[in-house]
Amino acid sequence: MLQTPHHYTPVQAASGYEFSAGTGYQLPEYPFTPPPELKAKKIQRHDIVIAGGGLAGLTLACALNQYGVKAILLDEDNTVGVKGASSRGICYAQKTLEIFKRLGLYDRIAAKGVQWSVGRTFAGNDEVYSFDLRQQNTHNVSEQPPFINIQQFYVEGFLVEQLYAAHNRTVELRWNNRITVFEQNADFATLSITTPAGDYTIEATHVVDCSGARSPFRAWVAASVTAKKGDDRWCIADVRFKNSPPVERHTWIEAPFNEGRAVWQHLMADGVWRIDYQMRPDADPEEVSREDVVRTRINGQLGRDVPHDEYDIVWVGPYAYRSECLDQLRHGRVFFVGDAAHVVSPFGARGGNSGVQDADNLAWKLAAVVQGRAAPALLASYHHERHEAAEHNVLVTNRTARFLRPADGAERLFRTAAISLAKRHAFARQLVNTGRMSSPNVYSRSSACHSSGGRALQNVALHWADGSRGDVADLLTWAQGHLLLLVFGLLKDSESRQALRLARATGVRCVQVVRQASAASAKEFVVDSHGHLAGCVGSTRWAIVRPDSYLVATGQALGDSALTQAVRSARGVAA
Amino acid sequence: MKSELNFENADQFYESLLDAHQGLSREQSESFNARLVLVLANQVGSTHVLLACLKAAQESGAA
Repeated sequence: MLQTPHHYTPVQAASGYEFSAGTGYQLPEYPFTPPPELKAKKIQRHDIVIAGGGLAGLTLACALNQYGVKAILLDEDNTVGVKGASSRGICYAQKTLEIFKRLGLYDRIAAKGVQWSVGRTFAGNDEVYSFDLRQQNTHNVSEQPPFINIQQFYVEGFLVEQLYAAHNRTVELRWNNRITVFEQNADFATLSITTPAGDYTIEATHVVDCSGARSPFRAWVAASVTAKKGDDRWCIADVRFKNSPPVERHTWIEAPFNEGRAVWQHLMADGVWRIDYQMRPDADPEEVSREDVVRTRINGQLGRDVPHDEYDIVWVGPYAYRSECLDQLRHGRVFFVGDAAHVVSPFGARGGNSGVQDADNLAWKLAAVVQGRAAPALLASYHHERHEAAEHNVLVTNRTARFLRPADGAERLFRTAAISLAKRHAFARQLVNTGRMSSPNVYSRSSACHSSGGRALQNVALHWADGSRGDVADLLTWAQGHLLLLVFGLLKDSESRQALRLARATGVRCVQVVRQASAASAKEFVVDSHGHLAGCVGSTRWAIVRPDSYLVATGQALGDSALTQAVRSARGVAA
Repeated sequence: MKSELNFENADQFYESLLDAHQGLSREQSESFNARLVLVLANQVGSTHVLLACLKAAQESGAA
């Protein structure tokens, strides 16, 4: 099991992963097993091949496994995280946490990670504004908190362990399997793979590229990319203090201890702080990440000469960011997911979170097509929905980047104006853009949603018919990849018959939602005693919910043709 | 966007605006104007109207 190094938690029994010389985590290694195809005479065809075992690929693998769909995942190395660079994404948003709840690893993430709610933004020595997410009720209907901070490799490690622990596992993990050649025709793709035990070739009906920002598939399919590159430079220092500062997110737009440039401070698991410093655009990446230079910056931040033994430097990583978005997220048999499809600056935590949400979006569609619940046309909606999401994320993160690295002249002038107004006037605080935190995207141009839907349904608590506590995620797990028809309130006999007919014809799972158990007449019902579920859906009579907890459509009458239309479009059947 | 007169007292506003800039360097005037634009924009609020105002200012400058 992936655990905290015992160096960090002396009370805990020794774990398998040891802290290596105060400079980072020892990442787990997974076993290479020679694939059966090495000895096969005939080329085998797989339904689904996942390229890359990062956050997106492993989420997809876990989701497909939960739907009982066969797939193989090929990863070019044998570990999670990047070797020597053991920390990337840190901030996991509510929608992502809800997906992890459904996949069964949320409790581990919550136990290991850090919840934060207080954020303070400074300019110079002044606090510009602060917020407390606990006091914002937009976040409080879900069973999951607004955010949990945790090192990415922990999440990836938990996903791997979740897969290895699964009964009747349908997704095979192939470590040290690197794809070297790719070709495709209208019906299938052919992949050449190299391993420590030799090379082999397979065919795949669907290939999902989760191989990250340097994906070779982009060139293999000649994908066009819309990109934008700036000159902003940053340097991360992940450090662990013996005595931790308070659990708050601190953001300096103009830090006096960083030559008036920005600094971010975030707490992660194991008491490790991520301190992210904005650098001069012409800064030398090697110079700024040297240990003595990092320690000098930290001395400046804390305002004293901090003895070396007061903290460990866990990881240092200089980076520049860019935005990139593939113009098509599907090229023939290949779907692009996560960083392979889009790259954004880190502001607002929209990279990893959108990768997980891409994977969750594609997983149920692939499952429905492979298992015969939907027509292949449904897969076109992956591009409609997640390209819209990616474009939105690019737009939002580029705005933040422009605030944090304004061009000289008018851009800097207006930033200074916004900051000085923000100290006294509440309205101007909204202009101070240190990142708009990731929230579920809206799908407005999808073939698989109607205009009454396209919104995410939060993971609201409810009670099962037997009185036990559950939530929307449990309901979706119960539906096993089928669409869910929620009917709110009392049911007439004629309506029950309508719902049953629809269920028989389409496989939709029907559930009555009532305020008290005594009001239920359907065989399957849940109790929404405070009306939170009804409120989230929008106080309509019915709602079709997809396995990724998005609404297909909502409506007022069960006899509506809109209901049958919605089911058809979410099954990829032309209207 | 309102193109017709909407000031309660245009002459008085204009005079106050000039007075506010009195004694400011060019740089200070620029900063003042930037703050003023943001304060005024928040009074307007409507995205549609604000975009029309930006366009009106652009076009008048080009003419």
